[in-house]
Amino acid sequence: MPDKKNRWNLIIFAVIVLLLVGSIFFLWMRANDEVRSIVEDQYQNQQLILTQYVSSSLEELLNERVLLLEVMARNEQGVPEDLFISDFENIYKAAEIYHVLEFIDANGTVVSGYPSENVPLGYNLHENDNEWAFENVRKTGEVYISEPAMTQEGIFGSFVWVPVFEEGEFKGTIFGIVSDEDIIRQFETTSNSSNSVYLLNSRGEIIYDQSGMYEKGTVYLDYIKGYEVERLDIVRSQMNGLEGNGKYPDTVSNGRSQDILVSYSPVTWYNKNWSLGLSSPGNTVDKIIVSVYVKLFTVAGLSVLFILFLSSQVYFILLNWNRSLEKEVKKKTHELQRSNDSLISANLKLRELDRLKTEFLSMVSHELKTPLTAMKTSSEFLLEGKCNQDTRTQILALINRNVDRQARMVDDLLDISRIESNRMKFEMESVDLREVLDHSIENVHKLSEDKGIGIEVDMPEEVSGVYADKDKLVQVFVNLLNNSLKFTQEGGKITVSAQEKAKDVEVCVMDDGIGIDPEYLEHIFDKFYQIDSTSTRKVGGCGLGLAITRGIVEGMGGSIRAVSEPGNGSTFIFTLGKVSDNRENNDFH
Amino acid sequence: MIVQVVLIMDAENIDPRILALMEKNPEITTAEIASSLALDEVLIRQRIEVLADTREKLLIVDEEIDALTALKVALEAEGYNVIVALDGFEGIEKARTENPDIILLDIMMPGMDGFEVCKRLKSDPSSEHIPVIMLTAKGETADKVEGLELGADDYVTKPFNLKELKARIKTVLRRRNF
Repeated sequence: MPDKKNRWNLIIFAVIVLLLVGSIFFLWMRANDEVRSIVEDQYQNQQLILTQYVSSSLEELLNERVLLLEVMARNEQGVPEDLFISDFENIYKAAEIYHVLEFIDANGTVVSGYPSENVPLGYNLHENDNEWAFENVRKTGEVYISEPAMTQEGIFGSFVWVPVFEEGEFKGTIFGIVSDEDIIRQFETTSNSSNSVYLLNSRGEIIYDQSGMYEKGTVYLDYIKGYEVERLDIVRSQMNGLEGNGKYPDTVSNGRSQDILVSYSPVTWYNKNWSLGLSSPGNTVDKIIVSVYVKLFTVAGLSVLFILFLSSQVYFILLNWNRSLEKEVKKKTHELQRSNDSLISANLKLRELDRLKTEFLSMVSHELKTPLTAMKTSSEFLLEGKCNQDTRTQILALINRNVDRQARMVDDLLDISRIESNRMKFEMESVDLREVLDHSIENVHKLSEDKGIGIEVDMPEEVSGVYADKDKLVQVFVNLLNNSLKFTQEGGKITVSAQEKAKDVEVCVMDDGIGIDPEYLEHIFDKFYQIDSTSTRKVGGCGLGLAITRGIVEGMGGSIRAVSEPGNGSTFIFTLGKVSDNRENNDFH
Repeated sequence: MIVQVVLIMDAENIDPRILALMEKNPEITTAEIASSLALDEVLIRQRIEVLADTREKLLIVDEEIDALTALKVALEAEGYNVIVALDGFEGIEKARTENPDIILLDIMMPGMDGFEVCKRLKSDPSSEHIPVIMLTAKGETADKVEGLELGADDYVTKPFNLKELKARIKTVLRRRNF
């Protein structure tokens, strides 16, 4: 199912991409056509201007050169003695377009000319039936230019006839042959290689064709097929002496057709009306467009590359920025998490402390009220006076016992309060450890005997003096012994040992009682701490003994710890300063 | 005290057997019962005294022996047959076997606290009818309400006035007798 969906997505995506590409291509083609037509127009206008320039230059050149002959013919002195030879030589060299210059006398005989190798001296026009143009010039007195034709020397050229009159009398003509090759050669450099120049006369005959495709003297119209309407129009316009642009399709070698662009402009040379054509293949325009596009795309490509480069730089900068931001956020989050965690754990600790405090308060309240209740009940009962002597004694002993218990409780509370506020006073002195221990064991003697628990002392002789507050040290021992007695079953054993260490004396109180779970071991010295209110209650006390003990030991400059294994008893180990080391150190509180 | 506790613990086994023997032979002497049960005659006499006791029976459940003793002595002098239990489990057991007329129940106890004991007593058909007076050292309203909601008939705050306690016991007993 997801595969199918993916395939559909892919197809839709492909269709959209195709549509986009197609529309872009279509728009581009349209734009391209417009551009092409604009460029083509421009190109043709340029070509027309070129054609006009070439045609007018040609016109000027031809007219100028003929004018030179006219000037020579109208010499006031008439026909010079050298029969124009020197003038011919000068003009030939200056004009550069004449194949030959000759003087034909009134009889139609060639009498002089230059260059001499091209001059058929003594050639008579009448004898050779070539006098028509000669006679025409004699009649009209005007310059006449004959249609280009192949000369007897094998040159295709136009003949220029200039009449020479002396005081109104016809003296002959100056005759010149202008080779079309010579004329056009002057302009060949003006057109570029892809262009082709051709020259037609008013009858549509080809006078010159640069491409060499058409023979000189043939009629251009003969080469045009009936369906080439556009081409026909161009030639007709040229024959009518018009100027303008045109184009026609032409098939090239590989069967493809391309437009041929033609510009034409008239050339008027005395009685001749010719038309100069300049044709160029349409792909010239395409080449221009392509070259423009190449430049355009090069610039566009470079721009895209540049933009891509810049964008990638920006992207990388942003990416790095983003990354560093993420890193920062992660760091901050981590910090927040940590502070949150520490707050949570602090909160938990506070809650735990609060719970312990509440429990402690309720315990204290119970511990204080219980003996009070017993005493109050007992004393009220005594006041009723209903009891006998035995009962009275029993009741009074009970009251006494509870008074002691209450007093002990108050003492403990005062001790813990002093320890907490650092106000406990220590009377530090050199103390005989053994003596203190004996005194302490005596204190718990009754309880140990009741439970049948033996207390053994394992103390080497060399262990003698410690630096401590004697009464407080007794309290420490009594507390620890009581603690051990409480948690040791009947018939158990408690061992008190001591040994000297480098700086202090280490005392161990070891029992074989129920032991302490390792989980609770580190908390047993905390004030208010009770492993389990029920188990503590079972053996009495309200959880202050060990806290007081630690307070006292630490207050005397020592330390206390406990090691235990559930079921295998507990050992409480505390240290006391040796007499020798601590004698000077008298400022304990 | 320990001897007494042992006696009480054995009572439920001994009492039915003594009663069975007495039913068979109403003329039987304590010495004969003692010999047939292989027990001390003094013990048998005590049990018979207990069985013959028509006083109202009062069970005190409290872990504090001194408080327990003072109350027991005072209430025995008042004419009640007082039996005691040192923790919740024992209290429930005694309530079932001894069928006391009233229970004085301390709240703060090891193992099972007074509230739990009260709840169990009140949910057991064999003990639900026994009125319970809660003894509390806390004295906080919330505790009292909890006790009463669990079915306790009354509560007394430690340290209590003996006369007041006696008056409350009487009131509760009288209410039960209706």
